[in-house]
Amino acid sequence: MVFNQMKGKDMSCQAFTEQFDERLDGRLVESSQAAFDAHLASCADCRREWDAYAAVWQVLASDKGIEPSFGFAERTLRRLNDPQIAVHRWVWWPAWRWAALAATVMALGVGGWIGHERMTERRRAEAYARIQHADYLEDFDVIANLDQLKGDKQL
Amino acid sequence: MTSSDPDVALMLRVRHGDNDAFRELIERHQRAVINTIHRAIGDAWEAEDLAQRVFVQVHRSAKRYKATAKFTTWLFTITRNTILNEYRRRSRHPSESLDALQEPSDPEGAGWQAADTSARDPAQEAVERELQEKVMEAVRELPEAQRTAIILCRYEGLSYEEIGKVLGCTVSATKSLLHRARLTLKEKLRGYY
Repeated sequence: MVFNQMKGKDMSCQAFTEQFDERLDGRLVESSQAAFDAHLASCADCRREWDAYAAVWQVLASDKGIEPSFGFAERTLRRLNDPQIAVHRWVWWPAWRWAALAATVMALGVGGWIGHERMTERRRAEAYARIQHADYLEDFDVIANLDQLKGDKQL
Repeated sequence: MTSSDPDVALMLRVRHGDNDAFRELIERHQRAVINTIHRAIGDAWEAEDLAQRVFVQVHRSAKRYKATAKFTTWLFTITRNTILNEYRRRSRHPSESLDALQEPSDPEGAGWQAADTSARDPAQEAVERELQEKVMEAVRELPEAQRTAIILCRYEGLSYEEIGKVLGCTVSATKSLLHRARLTLKEKLRGYY
């Protein structure tokens, strides 16, 4: 592929082929369309590429499809209460609902874990306080360095 | 979307139990739904059966339908999910087709017709039929997302944005899917154009 210079408008062959889809789907703006057509007229290699690309799109049109059989709508109406047809409600959930559900589950999990940790910490503190006020421990010198033990989280 | 959209207006009536509106909705979209499924799975009878399932799902979901998106986008999303469910079912039971599972719900429903087969040169018709079969085969062999994108773009005329919504991807991803699908089809259909 070569780089083509065209009457004030430059378009490389690569840039040209990148526009095939938009040209085929009628989505090129007027100015781009003009540049596209100018390149098409001036580059034989690209013209061959484009002809093949556009031809495939035309070939697809040869599939005309099938017509619904007679009474399709009536038969469908008769199946409205067919228990064999399950409703997969979850399938239709949009992505944001799945994300919200996942976020809720995660929040509950994290919240539960934090709550559990706090509860454990509080129980530890309560146990420590109880021991601190247990005079009999001091009376009998059972624990000499209670503060040090708290720092090591031994209680 | 407003109720000036005929599909939305019909869906609002369906929501209130109006079966005439539902029949009209089916008649407006039956061809698109049947052909989308037919192009994906390749069997005309199964395509009709699955299309009926799609419309039953639409009816059952009418109460939850919100007119925030174009009706056809919603309809094709249900259609795609139905096709995906059928693929999953087939992968679990590879030897079964829907034909084997149940008889047609109504004997009068037998026999679909190819579109527009009015009197023409039989030789020409044979060539066209062969080409059509080759095209359908090439489309069916595409990866699922590419195939859906091509079908919705080429045959149903959906915009990139609408295709993206059906596939759950961005517009640029949709463009990329279409481009790759076209390149593959160009190779597979070489000799037919």
